[in-house]
Amino acid sequence: MSETRRPRLCCHWLHACSGCELALLNGGDLFLGLLQLVDIVHFPLLLDYKYASGAEGKPDLPAAEIGLVSGGVASKNQLEVLRTLRGQCRILVAFGTCASHGGIPALRNQWTAEQTWNTVFQEDERSCSGEFEYEKWLDRVYAIDEQVEVDLLLPGCPPRPETIVATVAALAAGHQPQLAEKSVCEHCPTVRTGTGRMSVRRFLANADYDPEAPVDSMRCLLEQGLLCMGPVTVGGCGGREMPLCIRARVPCRGCYGPVRRQGNQLLDLLNVLASKGIDHRAIVDRRSLLRFSGAHGLLKPNIREG
Amino acid sequence: MKKEPIIIAFCCNWCSYAAADLAGISRLQYPGSIRIIRVMCSGMVHPDLVLQALNKGADGVIVVGCHLGECHYLKGNEMALARAEIIADTLEDLGIAAERFQLVWVSSSEPERLVAAFRAMSERLRAGRTPEIEAKEAGQ
Amino acid sequence: MPQVISIQPVTRIEGQARIDIHLDDAGQVADARLAIDALRGFEQFVIGRPAEEIPRIVSRICGICPWMHHLAAAKAIDCCFAATPPPAGQLLRELCHVLAHIHDKILHFFFLAAPDFIFEPNSDYSVRNLMGLVQRQPELAAEVVRMRQLGLAMLERIAGKATHPVAAVVGGFAKPMTEQERQGLLADGRVLLDFACRALDAAKKQVFVRFAEEETALGAIRTGFLGTVDDQGNLRFYQGRLRLMRPGGDTIDFAPSDYDRYLAERTEPWSTAKMVYARAWNEGFSLDLEAPRGVYRVNTLARINVCDRIATPLAQAELEAFRARFGRPAQGALLAHWARLIELVYACERVLELLADQRIAEPLVRTPAEPRAGRGCGQVEAPRGTLIHDFTTDDNGCIVRANLIVGTTHNIAPMNMSVHRAASTLIDGGRVDAALLNRIEMAVRAYDP
Ligand code: SF4
Ligand code: SF4
Ligand code: SF4
Ligand code: FES
Repeated sequence: MSETRRPRLCCHWLHACSGCELALLNGGDLFLGLLQLVDIVHFPLLLDYKYASGAEGKPDLPAAEIGLVSGGVASKNQLEVLRTLRGQCRILVAFGTCASHGGIPALRNQWTAEQTWNTVFQEDERSCSGEFEYEKWLDRVYAIDEQVEVDLLLPGCPPRPETIVATVAALAAGHQPQLAEKSVCEHCPTVRTGTGRMSVRRFLANADYDPEAPVDSMRCLLEQGLLCMGPVTVGGCGGREMPLCIRARVPCRGCYGPVRRQGNQLLDLLNVLASKGIDHRAIVDRRSLLRFSGAHGLLKPNIREG
Repeated sequence: MKKEPIIIAFCCNWCSYAAADLAGISRLQYPGSIRIIRVMCSGMVHPDLVLQALNKGADGVIVVGCHLGECHYLKGNEMALARAEIIADTLEDLGIAAERFQLVWVSSSEPERLVAAFRAMSERLRAGRTPEIEAKEAGQ
Repeated sequence: MPQVISIQPVTRIEGQARIDIHLDDAGQVADARLAIDALRGFEQFVIGRPAEEIPRIVSRICGICPWMHHLAAAKAIDCCFAATPPPAGQLLRELCHVLAHIHDKILHFFFLAAPDFIFEPNSDYSVRNLMGLVQRQPELAAEVVRMRQLGLAMLERIAGKATHPVAAVVGGFAKPMTEQERQGLLADGRVLLDFACRALDAAKKQVFVRFAEEETALGAIRTGFLGTVDDQGNLRFYQGRLRLMRPGGDTIDFAPSDYDRYLAERTEPWSTAKMVYARAWNEGFSLDLEAPRGVYRVNTLARINVCDRIATPLAQAELEAFRARFGRPAQGALLAHWARLIELVYACERVLELLADQRIAEPLVRTPAEPRAGRGCGQVEAPRGTLIHDFTTDDNGCIVRANLIVGTTHNIAPMNMSVHRAASTLIDGGRVDAALLNRIEMAVRAYDP
């Protein structure tokens, strides 16, 4: 072990599903290797560090050179923890698409918090012995860069294990991590001819392909008339190889978030369809196209309702 | 609404911006809260730009291009038209009233038409927006 | 002075929770609760979505067991659209399901729970964890990591994306398995089975020997159980009937789609997580430690208790030995860890059974579906317990109503009882220290929440 102090790593989850943390563990040998480069000072999935000692205690989190925060921010409690983390971490990374763009939980932003709680608890109203504590929650689900300054976005739902490990290792060594900047299509080996169906259908039957033949002989799914979000999603899910969903012969749904940080996957995709002459009105639920990036005020309650 | 609605006008260089120039030379009056942004062609205005303008505080966005068939890049304004349909269909999905966006065609010799469109949109936004919608959008 | 001791966050579990221990003037435990404040509103935001997209959305309920939600939803949507997957589609789904169980059990047992048994209870928190395990037993740690990788790699080969999967689709599966892949997977499956058997043997020698002492410290609770069995009463993970067992051992079996006649949900003001109780027992709901009402447990121990037998030989032998020693139903909370490793053996055997079935490599994996109005209930056994997804669609095949009961929800009531019992047994005169509080957390970890 080296004599100089190793950079400390603090890993915390907010409005998250634990998938990002698990992805780090799924690095396996790479993760074990990372343990030689950094000291983990906080990681609730693995380590018994307690940040609150009393019910009203302020979060007491350790200082660290690198902080990974997964999940968006939905409650006041999460916001308080996030602010503390920002103060304690020299480099703060938005870990995963929930943290960087809201992720699936931000689909909730199409409804007010009150509408959501009424739906979730409707059947229990009769037996519910307490009032729901609205004041503990924020009005919507925020990406973490809406609330605090963030140094790096590491999107992915979850991000690729190798990418996470490489990113932390680069930061620990004081380098700028290398992340994909091009779209999922750039990494996709399917055959594109520039022509295709003029509409998009729902994914109710499998794509057309020969299961014995490699993916690079399959026709692009969008050209087969399946809605594929590859063109408007930042790549990286397959590492140097092909995108993960395409390996399963299933269209991309955009889980890495937009190609440009400010992009809007819904508008961007319709724009792609328009430029290919495909009628976007065949899409059943357009707002689903923001299913991974509904934070930053992109998904809002419908103005005509309520 | 007390103050003038802020409107971002994306004007293509060849027809619409020339019309705006001419409007200035001809001393035609239009609301001072209209901010003109010159683009090479109406086909360059990506829907993201429209949304960003609206989300960052503009009350309305108007995209102005050459008449169909007269685009200096041949089909740029057809692209703008296809995009306008997308934007019109999508704004309400994104929690924004559809009347806050508009597309018009203006040739370089039609400054009156441009000014009329500016004025009409400004009037519409001032009159048409219900307090509920405003409050909802302000409070997000 | 009355006082509240909070453990926040509860660690080495797969989610976010807090324990509040309320002490009275004399420093004795007046009450203790496990609060889970992670309400994300999936029931709301699936509304309006095309139903075929749901399996890819609800997987994000949990990043540790996304396959469970993915598959429960796929089964439910099949029902909504009246689409029956072809045999290969069914077999591939089940294979993914058991493989996901395997890597989850390895994770839970070795990465999360084992440090409590391998290190002394009063060892420092910075050592009592996976990183400490890597230092102390590097070969074991490396092997465990390798086996998890193997399970994951198998899933990736079958399904492309292993975490937040996409391959189960309404009407079946997205991609057939080739014969060559089947052969390769069979070989890997045998490696996993061998590891599972060795892991169980080693755990009996090194880990389970400490259970007697810990069980006394944690104190017992007595509840009913819920799990899945087939028509012959064999343990099942992917498909079957639900069996609800009373604390005394009497059982009733019912179809998963009838869940709301046998179970009911409720909320308590101190937690945003719902609780489920056995409506069928007609006794209401109470967390009273001496006389609980309506409380049952799910997950490994529950499944091992409710099944009559296990259809694979090695796991059946382990089940018999377990029953001979602890009876049926076994009530000790920590026995869930033991049951977990028996299930690991079963899951590995089941992988080999499924791969031995030639039909799994048939090219027809999906029946095309038509959107329509319907209702569908999809149920699977997740590592953390019985998982039920219940969706209703409109004429356009979009969701109008959803109800989700996840494994942890069933276990919130018994976990509260266990925490309360452990706190009352361990805390005397208001004195606590880190080792003692960790023991209380161990009561939670056994449930794998
Ligand atoms: S980004 Fe995906 S994997 Fe990560 S916390 Fe969010 S839902 Fe889970
Ligand atoms: S649209 Fe989809 S299938 Fe086509 S190239 Fe892009 S990612 Fe591949
Ligand atoms: S193909 Fe798209 S949806 Fe699938 S993993 Fe990659 S980015 Fe995510
Ligand atoms: S140049 Fe005016 S619209 Fe294209």
